[in-house]
Amino acid sequence: MDNPIYVTIARQTALQRQMDVVANNIANASTTGFKREGTVFAEVIERLDGASKALSMSSDTATFTDLAPGPVAETGDPLNVAILGDGMLGVEHRDETLYTRDGRFAISPEGELTLLSGGRVLDAGGAPLQIPPDSTRIAIAKDGTVSADGVPLGRLGLYGLDAARLERTGGGLFRAAEQPPAAEQPRFAQGFLEDSNINPVTELVRMIEIQRAYELGQNMLQAEHDRISQVTEIAGRAA
Amino acid sequence: MRALEIAATGMMAQQTRVEVIANNISNVGTTGYNLRRAEFADLLYQQAQRAGDVSSDTGTVVPAGIQLGLGTRTAAVSMQVAQGALRQTNGELDLALEGRGWFEVQLPSGDSAYTRDGSFKLSADGLVVTSEGYPLVPQITVPADARGVSINADGQVFASFEGNQAPQELGKISLANFINEKGLEARGSNLFTATAASGDAQIGDAGTDGRGTMRQGYLEQSSVDIVTEITQLIEAQRAYEMNSKVITAADQMLAAANQVR
Repeated sequence: MDNPIYVTIARQTALQRQMDVVANNIANASTTGFKREGTVFAEVIERLDGASKALSMSSDTATFTDLAPGPVAETGDPLNVAILGDGMLGVEHRDETLYTRDGRFAISPEGELTLLSGGRVLDAGGAPLQIPPDSTRIAIAKDGTVSADGVPLGRLGLYGLDAARLERTGGGLFRAAEQPPAAEQPRFAQGFLEDSNINPVTELVRMIEIQRAYELGQNMLQAEHDRISQVTEIAGRAA
Repeated sequence: MRALEIAATGMMAQQTRVEVIANNISNVGTTGYNLRRAEFADLLYQQAQRAGDVSSDTGTVVPAGIQLGLGTRTAAVSMQVAQGALRQTNGELDLALEGRGWFEVQLPSGDSAYTRDGSFKLSADGLVVTSEGYPLVPQITVPADARGVSINADGQVFASFEGNQAPQELGKISLANFINEKGLEARGSNLFTATAASGDAQIGDAGTDGRGTMRQGYLEQSSVDIVTEITQLIEAQRAYEMNSKVITAADQMLAAANQVR
């Protein structure tokens, strides 16, 4: 008898989670290199005892990362780099290799090229890039070659990652399930940064959709509640 | 429902951004001011269901998992070290830096601070000091009978005297350089101090090892561009409003949940 209520509750819980995902996307509208998150819904089918019909509930089985490129904006800072096309930079963070689209670099006191949020940027061979302390001009070529005062230091490592096998770790960093292959034809733009790839209008529309669907669900619960009270009342009168 | 807290982190981040922009705009007339930018990063992710979890006894795995983000945070307010435009002042002790480098001054505590603000003055003892009265390092004393002071591009300071007396070299202003200028700590009054992130100051002559040169009679203006700041301000305000819309929507969803008896 409670099936309509259970079906609605499954849907409502999933909608709340979806709202959290949309809220996170909007909160990261100004986060450099942020990649939008989406939710995937699936049907969970349950066979009813002795009945030929199956009961279907919705369940949010997965979130996915939308790796679509974000708009690229000029900053003029030589330690900013945008990745044009696919691929992610390799970063050593707490003894493991993580991947990012965030191209805001800084130089550590040890003279290593790091991300602004910490973590050493790795070259194509997986080693950190060492910047000589007296260098005055750092140039990052289109193919990712980092040079200081015209002396090449190494090439930024760019890896092709599969969106379905990425785990988000925060700080714009992703963990890959397995060692990703090097990206083909890496292209970089120095003095530019890739903005968040969320589209504010789409996110707001999605938010309204979720909100209305949630209210619909609550009305459904209310109607079901009223129906059950009526049944109880009638049954009580008959007894 | 975390949407409320998540949107709140978004609002706080945009508020920080507006504060940084306000500080930039208010320093549009500050000599040697370097513009700041608030930088954001996403917060931790909660793994509700991990990718790679086994979903059946035949060994199938969850391909994507459920990852719920918890919002955004301010990762840094970074200084954009850029050359500001030079403004002619004709002041004898006004120095503008062309290229990289920082003047070293001595704080009352004895520690060193660094500045790109070259509007120097003379103290009662003839010492070259900043507007706050902190002496330049190395100390340069201008004799009381000097008629004028000239400073060349390499930082050599000469005093000229009445009559046909030869100009006297008073000293040489050296410049400090840092491997990571963004790591300097701002102390207000256009002064910065070295931190572990900036690395130690590398003191040397102007024009050597990538250090810039000096120009007497000019001051370096703020590197803030008002038009960019205003567009950033508009962006920040709209993003703030968007986050507040999320709070309203989440609130209405909770209200709907409360209405069911």
